[in-house]
Amino acid sequence: MPDTVSRPPKAPQTLDLAAPPDDVNSVHALLEAVWAAHEDVGPIDRISFETALIELASNVIRHGDDGDGVVCSVTVDVTEDRIEARLIDSGPRGDIQLSRSELPDELAESGRGIPLITALVDVVRYEHDADGNRWFLSRRRSG
Amino acid sequence: MNQNVRHLDDGVAVLSLGGKLNMVSAPAVRESIAGLVAGGSSRVVVNLEGVEFLDSSGLGALISGLKSTRQAGGDLRIAAPGEQVRLVLRLTNMERVLVPFETAEEAFARA
Repeated sequence: MPDTVSRPPKAPQTLDLAAPPDDVNSVHALLEAVWAAHEDVGPIDRISFETALIELASNVIRHGDDGDGVVCSVTVDVTEDRIEARLIDSGPRGDIQLSRSELPDELAESGRGIPLITALVDVVRYEHDADGNRWFLSRRRSG
Repeated sequence: MNQNVRHLDDGVAVLSLGGKLNMVSAPAVRESIAGLVAGGSSRVVVNLEGVEFLDSSGLGALISGLKSTRQAGGDLRIAAPGEQVRLVLRLTNMERVLVPFETAEEAFARA
């Protein structure tokens, strides 16, 4: 495909997830559709962004459930130079220190999700408002 | 996630996984390794050749298995990780603890 052909930007793709019964495999399926629509996103960017977003979604599903499950909306947008995700969830206020990215002890069985996210994307933002928790991830495309 | 167990001639158990090792599949993998240890197999190789995705939940299952095999006098080793799995191992500094071998047969060859 010639580089000179300018293609129209593709619309962001959104998944509305209710866990249970939905789980992170729904987020994998969303990303599969995103990558299919953006064949120009390179393998390193794909695996890096997918790992970060699955870690975030896992965190939301695991910690955001106060007994009634979690409802969340995930939107992924691929631009010329970035891959971005916006996630809004219904869970209680997240008690997550995004700046704390030290890894746990070698034999700890948890605690690596947030360090992985911060290592894989350039921007991680979190805010809480009347609608719930808002998360934003952005990775600059490397190829 | 697909799981399959075979035993090598020297008694090493090879657990071959296929698919995504994430928070959905991690509990079953944790149980499989615990079952192997309970059944007397304390030397376990987890063959990751068919694993297209590993996250921190999946890593937690492998570390759980590492601890239970060591407590039983054995060890857990991994074989044939793909690019995404290697990225996660590298970024979590786990390559020293879960040293990747190229094949399941090599994992305990010099044990």
